[in-house]
Amino acid sequence: MNQIIALALKDLKLLLRDKAGFFFTFFFPLVYAVFFGSIFASQSKPIEGIRVAVVDEDQTPNSVAFIEELAAAPELDVLTTTRAAAGDLVRTGKRSAFIVLTQSFGEARDRMFWGDPATLELGVDPSRAAEAGMLEGVLMRYAMEGFQDAFANPDVMRDKAKTVLKDVADSDSINPIARAAMNRFFGELDRFMGEVPKFDDQNSAGQSENGDGSGGWQPVVIQSVAVAREYTGPKSAYEISFPQSMTWGVLGCTAAFGISLVIERTHGTLVRLRTAPIQRWKILGGKALACFVTTLATLTMLIVVGILLFGIRPSSYALLAMAFASVAAGFVGIMMFISVLGRTEQSASGIGWGVLTMMAMLGGGMVPLLFMPGWMKVASHASPVKWAIVAMEGAVWRNYTTTQMLLPCGILLAFGVVFFVFSTRVFRWTDH
Amino acid sequence: MLKLDGLCKRFGRITAVDNLSLTIHRGEVFGLLGPNGAGKSTTVNMAVGLLAPDAGTVDVNGCGSPTQTDVRAHIGVAPQALSIYDELTGEENVTFFGRMQGLRGSKLAERVRWCLDFVSLADRRRDRASMYSGGMKRRLNLAVAVVHDPPLLLLDEPTVGVDPQSRNAVFDNIEALRADGRTIVYTTHYMEEAQRLCDRVGIIDQGRLMALDTVDNLITQHGGKSVVIADVAGEEVRVETQDPLAELAKFQNRGQLNRFKVEQPDLENVFLELTGRSLRD
Ligand SMILES: Nc1ncnc2c1ncn2[C@@H]1O[C@H](COP(=O)(O)OP(=O)(O)OP(=O)(O)O)[C@@H](O)[C@H]1O
Ligand SMILES: [Mg+2]
Repeated sequence: MNQIIALALKDLKLLLRDKAGFFFTFFFPLVYAVFFGSIFASQSKPIEGIRVAVVDEDQTPNSVAFIEELAAAPELDVLTTTRAAAGDLVRTGKRSAFIVLTQSFGEARDRMFWGDPATLELGVDPSRAAEAGMLEGVLMRYAMEGFQDAFANPDVMRDKAKTVLKDVADSDSINPIARAAMNRFFGELDRFMGEVPKFDDQNSAGQSENGDGSGGWQPVVIQSVAVAREYTGPKSAYEISFPQSMTWGVLGCTAAFGISLVIERTHGTLVRLRTAPIQRWKILGGKALACFVTTLATLTMLIVVGILLFGIRPSSYALLAMAFASVAAGFVGIMMFISVLGRTEQSASGIGWGVLTMMAMLGGGMVPLLFMPGWMKVASHASPVKWAIVAMEGAVWRNYTTTQMLLPCGILLAFGVVFFVFSTRVFRWTDH
Repeated sequence: MLKLDGLCKRFGRITAVDNLSLTIHRGEVFGLLGPNGAGKSTTVNMAVGLLAPDAGTVDVNGCGSPTQTDVRAHIGVAPQALSIYDELTGEENVTFFGRMQGLRGSKLAERVRWCLDFVSLADRRRDRASMYSGGMKRRLNLAVAVVHDPPLLLLDEPTVGVDPQSRNAVFDNIEALRADGRTIVYTTHYMEEAQRLCDRVGIIDQGRLMALDTVDNLITQHGGKSVVIADVAGEEVRVETQDPLAELAKFQNRGQLNRFKVEQPDLENVFLELTGRSLRD
């Protein structure tokens, strides 16, 4: 085992010293992922606004008016529906969030400054946590604007003040001190509103800033509702471009190690290894181990970049590890196959990259599988690249179960075994 | 130490080695001399287990065939083609192959230091082999062969493509290894090297062993006569003789010897005599 590890470490050292090889195995796939990810991302980005489902359980003029306001808002794309439908829309990823105007909404809006404030229930797709904060801000602002309108229109405000005075008089749950204070305040407010000239639009805008600075009091209370995500689709273009480009990292490792075996043969180091007291299978085992470890490391580095910088959220890290291990093992077999394709470094590299590029073309490493015509989707089954992409997507956004994962991983391992066994059989140990 | 018995190896139509038998004794430097394509490398490759002979057997140190993994631990090989990693440093190359020989820890470190020092590469040990000159690469190729301190060394043309200075360094190395009691098989097509270094020489041509003996015996048996060319009384005389000293003494006694030159036969003549061809064809 020591000898196999020493062999593998030697190969890793050689790979790190090969600047071009390092570029192709790591930076090229990254550039590819970011490039295509950003192209698709800019195409699919909703220009309209956050897609929300709105449920009106209150059905008062106040709630209807508020929903109309939201519908007119440029930040939002509103669909009104029932509570059950709204929940489904978010769970399946068709809408980013749902907003429920609860039954007391209209009443609470009228009451304005006392009692429980109006309540909105907000359920956000957990994968859109970034949008949740923005959405709360937007809702808060429109709720506030309702009050500003009230202040901007003295007649409305006077009506409200009168209603409140009447409510206060009718209610017996308000303590006497608060009742006195409110009677005085709303009485004064009614008189004040009767005297002020109507604000023009500009003034109203100016006042909105003052209103925001009031602090402590909120126009609405937003209650978060947990949503379990069931949606199985890519959450962003990067979730498509990363698994696809990561296969290029895999192909880079595969080619590098396949060719390095040919170089060992042409440069005589393979001969020297064979004169050492070490079995042949160990020599190939060391190469296989180095290739496996490097492929795993490349995949890990790439996905870490995807997670940290491009918001990729794998649905399962355990399954992702399983996918990575199967991809690496499968392509170790293909690495061996590359090493038997050519006599010289140049021919192995030429033929090897030719074969790998074919596999990539067929398997969705170039044109994403999603965009392939039907017959190509069928043909792609023959390419290990396709199964590598499926396995990685399964753990990133396809939300595969362990059982579903067994298919692509099993196929990758089968590819690995078949190619490895075939290639070691025909492997030439000498140069002639 | 190394016994080759009835070895045959064919590559398609070419018979590279034809019924070759040799016994190499412990502690000797054995030269395998022959022109390009004679079958030297093929013989070495069979002797170290790289090639399976079509017929015949190899025995290393009484332990059996070098196709068995553990038997190979007795052998150090410096292949004719440089077999080092260009992108590893000299030190890393020796260390890596030392590990492949099963060395570890302080023993490995000590052997690596010794080997690099032995071939005078200690001060360049941190440089990558790709930065080495041809001669330095050859020396590194030799250092890697001795890292595990093997009793039997097979050096396949260790001076090919080497400048005279490095060549002399390699000769010194081989003499030091011999003084250390190691058995060395040395292939070359330079007869001067065989003549200078080897206790016994096997002459090989077209896969067949033509003759095997000490250098002196080979020359006496197959080298033919020496030629004495002398200026005797202003007249150039040319005499072929088995005993040039006696011939010169005769001229000297006549008192008429002005200048003289003796052409003694060497392994080149031996080869010519045995094969009818020159070594450098
Ligand atoms: N693997 C091989 N396949 C086919 N022919 C081979 C092979 N190895 C050697 N030969 C042939 O066998 C013959 C002997 O080759 P070998 O390499 O043993 O010669 P050599 O004495 O080492 O020559 P040189 O001094 O050039 O190294 C040559 O004719 C060579 O072409
Ligand atoms: Mg040779």
